[in-house]
Amino acid sequence: MANLLTIKDLSVRYPTGTLALDGVSLSLAAGEFVAIVGPSGCGKSTLLKVAAGLLAPTEGSVAKTSDHIGFVFQDPTLLPWRSVRKNVELIGELRGMSRDDRQKAATEAIAKVGLSDFAQDRPSTLSGGMRMRASLARTLITRPELMLFDEPFGALDELTRAKLCDDVQTLFVADQFAGLLVTHSISEAVYLAERVLVMTDRPGRFAGEVPVPFDYPRPPDIRYTPEFAKTTAGVYSLLQPPSTSEDGK
Amino acid sequence: MSRRLKDFVAPTGVFLLAIIIWYLISTVVIDEGRRFLLPPPDAVVRVAFLDPVNLKDLLAGLGLSARVALTGLVLATVIGLSLATVMSQARWLEKSLFPYAVVLQTVPILALVPLFGYWFGFGFESRVLTCVLIALFPIVANALFGLQSVDPALHQLFSLHGANRLTRLWKLQLPSALPAIFTGLRISAGAAVIGAVVGDFFFQQGQPGIGQLIYIYPRRLQSEMLFAAVILASLFGLAVFWLFGLASRRVTAWHASQEPNPLSPGGNK
Repeated sequence: MANLLTIKDLSVRYPTGTLALDGVSLSLAAGEFVAIVGPSGCGKSTLLKVAAGLLAPTEGSVAKTSDHIGFVFQDPTLLPWRSVRKNVELIGELRGMSRDDRQKAATEAIAKVGLSDFAQDRPSTLSGGMRMRASLARTLITRPELMLFDEPFGALDELTRAKLCDDVQTLFVADQFAGLLVTHSISEAVYLAERVLVMTDRPGRFAGEVPVPFDYPRPPDIRYTPEFAKTTAGVYSLLQPPSTSEDGK
Repeated sequence: MSRRLKDFVAPTGVFLLAIIIWYLISTVVIDEGRRFLLPPPDAVVRVAFLDPVNLKDLLAGLGLSARVALTGLVLATVIGLSLATVMSQARWLEKSLFPYAVVLQTVPILALVPLFGYWFGFGFESRVLTCVLIALFPIVANALFGLQSVDPALHQLFSLHGANRLTRLWKLQLPSALPAIFTGLRISAGAAVIGAVVGDFFFQQGQPGIGQLIYIYPRRLQSEMLFAAVILASLFGLAVFWLFGLASRRVTAWHASQEPNPLSPGGNK
């Protein structure tokens, strides 16, 4: 399958002089879901921002075959003065969709994340999980080919997190976008991704890759199977102890 | 006692207490010969507000000052928001313009008033200009703060989807800055009323506004009228402040500042 995203020998140095990423390479095929795990501050989010085009690489190259990108931020980043529906329509407005098209697409996207009854509500009246769902719906409105998830469920409780993971998987199976998920949660990464890339502490390099041997759709209780535990243990072993640069991919 | 009743009874009680203290000082503490220093409230009401001729003078003065203050405020708002918007677009623009806004705020307004008189005469224009200068800075400073305080993740969201400066300004920065803009407007509204009274007080020519009446009445020992003029000027300032507060609550109902106060009992429910 053709690569939707190809990152080669990427290094990013911040204006402060900190080297955030050092020689990172990654490819993502259309319809593939990949997760990146690593310690806090290892440059995972930086990698995602470079992939989105929000940050320029210091060295290396980033190639995308589609500009149809959705980005789910760490926080829901909803506009507090807009209703859920108007928030979802926002991306359509920015992308120049006609009013009819974006209204139709918003209705569809809101229904997909189960927020139809709350479409007219402002974000401040919703729970954290519902806000994140609204944020997901907003990203879906333009039917992106590549979805970038930047630790989207980090601030949520365990139950809400698990539920949202299921929702993302359902959306992934239905819409067939390519997904790149950055997360601290090994279990979340293994549950959602086809392969998990493990990053070292700063400067971020890939310490290794763990393939996930499950087909989609994955039932929630797959998390309690020995094979799931074995896969998460494989990821964990790459995280501990810190790898040397020779392990980098 | 219900919360609503408490909200009404407590301020009314404080108001009545203030009137009683005023009355006692005026009638018991001050002897009759010196009562012009603080005429009792009933005399102020009788002389200033129940006498149609006196009331007409007061209302005409208030009307002129109100026109001056509101014109000044509208101009200050337009100029202030435009300046803040321009400054928010680039750091070098902010660095080039903001010091002059600070200078406007720090130059004593009374030092400029005679100049306005020379340049623009002693009429409506000079008084409005005084108001504009006194009301401009809070709008510029607060609006600029609001326009620059947008969540960086929201800026990234707009960048990701190719939003240009105008779209970003209209759909993100301005709505996001509304609470700060209204904070500035409320301060400036009060300042514009003060500017109208000060300008009027100083220029002393043409049709008298409330400031000029405040200057004239003590010289005629019309202390009831002086008190009435001060009360009317204060009430006007309060009304403008309240109106902007009301508008702010309507326009920024989504903002955290409109949530119940978590420090007051039951406020965090």
